[in-house]
Amino acid sequence: MHIPDGFLDIKTAMISGALAAVGLGVALRKVRQQIPARRVPLIGLAGAFIFAAQMLNFPVAGGTSGHLLGAVLAAVLLGPGAAVIVLSSVLILQCFMFADGGVTALGANLFNMALVAPVVGYGIYRAVSGLVGNSLRGRLCGIAFAAWCSTVAASIACAGQLALAGTVQWSAAFPAMANVHMLIGIGEALITTLVVAALARLRPDLLDEQTEPARPARYGELAAYGLLISIGLAVFIAPFASPWPDGLERVAVKLGFEHKALVTLLGSSPLPDYAVPGLKSVMLSTIIAGCAGTLAAFVLAYVLARFLTPAEAGKRIARARESRP
Amino acid sequence: MNRQLLSPYQHRSSPIHGLPPVWKCAGALIIIFIIVLAPRFAWAVYAGMGGGLVFIALLSRIPPRYLLKRILCLEPFVLGVAVLSLLQADGLYFFLSVLTKSTLCLFSMVLLAGSTPFSELLAVLRRLRVPALLVTTLALTYRYLFLLLEETARMKRARQSRTFTSRRGQAWRSPALVTALLFIRTSERAERVYNAMAARGWRT
Amino acid sequence: MNALQVEKLSYQYPDHTEALREITFSIAEGERVGLIGPNGAGKSTLLLHLNGLLPGHRIACPSVHVFGTPVMEPHLPAIRAQVGLLFQDPDDQLFCPTVREDVAFGPQQLGLQGAELWARVARSLEQVGLKGFEERVPYHLSRGEKRRVCLAGLLACQARVLVLDEPTSDLDPRGRRELKKLLGELAMTQLIATHDLELVAEICPRVIVLDQGIIVAEGPTGEVLADEPLMLAHGLEKPHILRHLHPH
Repeated sequence: MHIPDGFLDIKTAMISGALAAVGLGVALRKVRQQIPARRVPLIGLAGAFIFAAQMLNFPVAGGTSGHLLGAVLAAVLLGPGAAVIVLSSVLILQCFMFADGGVTALGANLFNMALVAPVVGYGIYRAVSGLVGNSLRGRLCGIAFAAWCSTVAASIACAGQLALAGTVQWSAAFPAMANVHMLIGIGEALITTLVVAALARLRPDLLDEQTEPARPARYGELAAYGLLISIGLAVFIAPFASPWPDGLERVAVKLGFEHKALVTLLGSSPLPDYAVPGLKSVMLSTIIAGCAGTLAAFVLAYVLARFLTPAEAGKRIARARESRP
Repeated sequence: MNRQLLSPYQHRSSPIHGLPPVWKCAGALIIIFIIVLAPRFAWAVYAGMGGGLVFIALLSRIPPRYLLKRILCLEPFVLGVAVLSLLQADGLYFFLSVLTKSTLCLFSMVLLAGSTPFSELLAVLRRLRVPALLVTTLALTYRYLFLLLEETARMKRARQSRTFTSRRGQAWRSPALVTALLFIRTSERAERVYNAMAARGWRT
Repeated sequence: MNALQVEKLSYQYPDHTEALREITFSIAEGERVGLIGPNGAGKSTLLLHLNGLLPGHRIACPSVHVFGTPVMEPHLPAIRAQVGLLFQDPDDQLFCPTVREDVAFGPQQLGLQGAELWARVARSLEQVGLKGFEERVPYHLSRGEKRRVCLAGLLACQARVLVLDEPTSDLDPRGRRELKKLLGELAMTQLIATHDLELVAEICPRVIVLDQGIIVAEGPTGEVLADEPLMLAHGLEKPHILRHLHPH
């Protein structure tokens, strides 16, 4: 999902760059305040860990292989703020050392994979494990669903950026990115959950380090990220999610970017999507698939969590038996 | 794999390698900005920039095959997304323009990465007053990256030598287990690195 | 005043197993002492105490004194500058992207800057036989070279006491020979925790034997290492070099 150079125009690059910079700044400040000096090297080494983990092959049918993104893994193991820093560090390294992801697109890539993915993932993880229960099963369910959602969310943000830049039409970008990443998200969910389950077996103390640090501070931090992400969504997606086919023009006017050349260039398609029923129905079907997919993802997450923690059901039954007179 | 990642040409001497890192960074960024800001079909600008980059590549004495290999292995994503742009009007020209922009920018970055050791880039970041926590994180990630990749390879090999079946379930549990073990080792090493840093006077 | 004075040092791990029990010993300035014992004896734990890295919490009455200064806050920065700790795994200690930055790390924390700093870095690298290694990347160095870079980092801090944890482990014979020669040439006080009994026999006039957190023997190396029943009782053995020197 690394956007290369030349795919984003200056305004998209600047907006996403500003959002990413603010998000990273918040994370740096919060982590410095909250994390003891002892744990600072862990953030750096975790960057190397995520990088290395991203390179492991998980075989999929037909000789292809899947790879981990690691946003939710980082968020669950280190906390959301540290995860933002870790993932930013990985992306910056990939950009400057390996030219994986463009320099002008760095802001957008950071926004998608180092801000949206871990923060949305962490929020969903806490919400779901609050709902299903804070036992290992509940947390695994939360992790699986969060990993799927974070992948899809990041891909939608990416599609929005490509569309805002005019490189790819929203009606093509959104279905392509969302559909593909709904599938990729399954892999991400599986890998992340399996890794956490293995850690729970080998070193449960490492997992518990992230539960319940100062709650008020954490909510404030999450709120700050939430605000940035909402602004991003408003800029990158809202114009296209609107029912008006000329949504982009409206946004251009609102933002003052009504430079004639820019607007005509972007809107220069002689085949606006409302005249092509095929494209419109692709959009609709993507949205329906998305809703169904989200539901299915949650169910699958729960099933996976149950599969990985059969002992918990047994423990409950044993405890119930013991407490009977 | 590690040989691919770490540029073996960073420490060569050439007119380009000898430039101060700030100039190299700024130069690469300026070139990229010009390319990105250029109007979509400004083929003359692309040609000019391309020529300039080839000239710099020659000056840097980095083997052309290496440069080509690095650019080509990054092309798949570029192509993948660019394909979507074919759906626009002037689809083919649009596609070609996006492809050209992207490839030229890739060229520029590959040149930068090939002629500048990462520690020099870090020094530039420090001078730009980037927050210390981020620079420390980048430095540690870079430093331990290759070590962890090697550890991963070793653990994979160790697992493979004890794997006699090829059931799909195992095929996923195994890398998941390796990842978990890697994290455990990473956290333990992080404790020891903290001790080593504190032992030489480091305080945040 | 002794370089290192340890009085009744006791320590428990977080899970309450006893690691060290009333350890007492002293090392005079300029002495080179070996610390030997089976795995799990507590050698590495003891060494961490000499730099104030253990215990993890503030202590009121320290059991360790370095040149008369107690090892506790607020003296820790000064202690850590004076006592150079060489860790067992050089990859843990070599945490900077290049050799020059790593050797410079210690003196930088001490406030050194600019030309003076880089001059000291160059001198330290030369002292360990790695002249010109400034721009090298740690990943590409051999194990022996990494160890020597770590040592250079300690010399750059102008440490007066060197505490080394298994300095010759994982080294090939040449690396071991070079390190042994280097340690023999350095004049500062040294405490060497090691399994390499030959090394102890060759360069340490005095030796301390640690087993299960207690000092079970201490004395001139020739005598202690030659005491075969003692060596075998504590998971060690009489080194071959002594067999040749003392055929009886």
